[in-house]
Amino acid sequence: MLDRTEVVVPILRSGVLAQAFCRNNVRATVEAVFERSFYLRAGDDFVCVGEPAIGNGPLTLIGHLRVPDLALQVRQPASFSDRHIAIGNSLRLTLNQAEAWRPPAWPVCPSPARLIDTCEALARRTAIDASERALARHWARIAGPCIATFERWLSDVIARAAPSGDAARGLLGLGPGLTPSGDDFLVGALALLDCIGERDAHAALGRAIIDALPGATSALSACFLRASAAGHIGEALHCAVSSVIAGDVDAAIAAVETIGHSSGWDMMAGVTTALRVAARHPHAFALS
Amino acid sequence: MSVILNEVRRATYLDSIVLMRISRQIAVLPGIEEAGLIIGTPANKEILRDAGILGPESDSAEPSDLILALRASDALAGEAALAEAKRLIDHPTALGAAAAVESSRTMRAAIKRLPAANLALISVPGDFAVAEAHKALELGLHTMIFSDNVPLADETVLKRKARERGLFVMGPDCGTAIIGGVPLGFANVVPQGDIGIVGASGTGIQEVSCLIARGGRGISHAIGTGGRDLKAEVGAVTTLMAIDALDADDRTKHIVLISKPPAASVAKAVLERVAKSAKPFTICFLGADEVAVPANARAAATLKAAADIVLGASAASWAQQPLPGLARTGLVRGLFAGGTLCSEAQIVFRQAGLAVASNVPVPGASAMADAPDGHVMIDLGDDEFTRGRPHPMFEPGVRDAPLGEALADPRVGIVLLDIVLGYGGHPDPAGHLAAFLEGRERRPLIVASVTGTDADPQPRNEQVEKLVAAGAIVADSNADATAAAIAALGPGPGRA
Repeated sequence: MLDRTEVVVPILRSGVLAQAFCRNNVRATVEAVFERSFYLRAGDDFVCVGEPAIGNGPLTLIGHLRVPDLALQVRQPASFSDRHIAIGNSLRLTLNQAEAWRPPAWPVCPSPARLIDTCEALARRTAIDASERALARHWARIAGPCIATFERWLSDVIARAAPSGDAARGLLGLGPGLTPSGDDFLVGALALLDCIGERDAHAALGRAIIDALPGATSALSACFLRASAAGHIGEALHCAVSSVIAGDVDAAIAAVETIGHSSGWDMMAGVTTALRVAARHPHAFALS
Repeated sequence: MSVILNEVRRATYLDSIVLMRISRQIAVLPGIEEAGLIIGTPANKEILRDAGILGPESDSAEPSDLILALRASDALAGEAALAEAKRLIDHPTALGAAAAVESSRTMRAAIKRLPAANLALISVPGDFAVAEAHKALELGLHTMIFSDNVPLADETVLKRKARERGLFVMGPDCGTAIIGGVPLGFANVVPQGDIGIVGASGTGIQEVSCLIARGGRGISHAIGTGGRDLKAEVGAVTTLMAIDALDADDRTKHIVLISKPPAASVAKAVLERVAKSAKPFTICFLGADEVAVPANARAAATLKAAADIVLGASAASWAQQPLPGLARTGLVRGLFAGGTLCSEAQIVFRQAGLAVASNVPVPGASAMADAPDGHVMIDLGDDEFTRGRPHPMFEPGVRDAPLGEALADPRVGIVLLDIVLGYGGHPDPAGHLAAFLEGRERRPLIVASVTGTDADPQPRNEQVEKLVAAGAIVADSNADATAAAIAALGPGPGRA
């Protein structure tokens, strides 16, 4: 029961998976509270509720809100009813005005040669501009062998050969951050494979991730990985990958800088790695 | 003795930037040698385990749990850091705004902030260092490339391009330089003076510059070249440019060259250039056999000998001096943070007619795997010891396990150690070593050298005092420490 001092927050946009979360659950709890967003959890699923600046995503509800003003507490209960989410006794999110958000279609891929040029330009920029916490820096030495294994695996899969090694196991849960750097790397790689139409490789990587997921990373990060494996990624990453394909390095960099503290850069490491591998197999671009 | 402390927070989510800031704040607290704050995934626990800071309380941590793991010099420092970490995890707003300060993120932005800059120090993964070095050269900047793993062909192209523009490329893998009194990378606080150094080895430059400083002289410039500059493919581009520069520099009165043995064609070119100078040279091709040097030059077999020649000191070393009461039987186990110091120790053994083995053998020494039962000099900066961990120059804990093994090995009579001080190094390497040794049964004699000066961020005199208090014999130089170890060596299988 809401009290008289309830705060009502209209949700403006909702991602596809966030809509399903609200439809499929009766109860949830507040799992984490950050400066610009908070997370609700029901079982293994999460939804992110945040201010417009955090950007749209498949698991995101964007509302007119300032998180510090909501006085949220971790483990507060939330309940779902038709078009409403009640949190504690004093906050209600309304979905009446929410528009569904879906990412636009991927752009058409240029030639592999041009993509390689873009990839190299991006790699140089990543080395210089990347957040110093990103995978590309301090964790590179530790992640290096896992990334090399991933590259071999992906190359085999794109070449339609029997894959050697393990695509995801070494990277899952590896590194610092709310979503570990290795997880972000895999999300970036999935996005790139989806964009270039390498559907078999995308599906194979998705399966490899899902198979290795139990116990390998946090529940929150696992939720994002499952979404990515199903082809659902956030607006900023979509923009970054589209910019890579369009050859616009500056726009790609600008987009990744909006994703978390270092996650965007780690995702970009996955994008450029997957792109470098795919570019060695020109047929990989045939379907895009 | 170091203590490992862990704290596990169940199902705790913190923003990535908060995690990073707390990690940083804890890592710089007094007595904290290593700290990490990461979620408890199996991959992350493995990293903490490899780093030796995973405690038993973290074994049960789940992927959604947060692990704070730290190693402290003592329990008091560890508990204080743990308490501070708990406070920050509970109240992350206490971190303050200062932690958010960012430096320039691109070279162009840095140049805008400091238009008079004329040198770029590049320390990015090797795959990317080449592109950044090209960018620096195109911006008209001398370049010091700290990064390693740069292909040799790229190094050659970069150095030739730089030479065409009248710019230096120091490196790749250039760890040390002192330009106009400004230390770059791992370097020590030495007075400015009239000795110029051209060095392909970072710790070589450090050892020689510190010995010269402690001998009352100073350094005009110490120009690092990178370890491959004297290979035939590169052709000593930077070395020759550095000789030209120091030869033309009025302040520089004497020039010291330090390198591994160069390719024959390169040695010829370098020595011909030396012969054209009116200035005296000291040439230390570490590990080379007889070197025929021009009349204005003298050859030095070790770093210590190079410094002695510059200082006009006698080359008498502890090797000729008896050390009553210190004699030991058995083998010498050298555990080095500095790769060049490891090489120098092997050379001193070789000069004494003793067989020696190493994981990085100099000419005349054996590979460690081929001679496991002899005197062994180990470079702990080699990849096998630093995989997933920092270099021992700034993480002395890398030496703990091999030192513990050496102390427990009944065949080992003497343990030989180096401590390298200066900017970029660990704040208290001797303190770490003393804490490790405290209360530990020690049959072997411990002989150490300390590369540094009293003006370093870790004053050498204080570091020496800690080592002496811990029962170590501290020699004036690495070569002296090695000679002292040999002098103390009783009859045994490795004694000639």
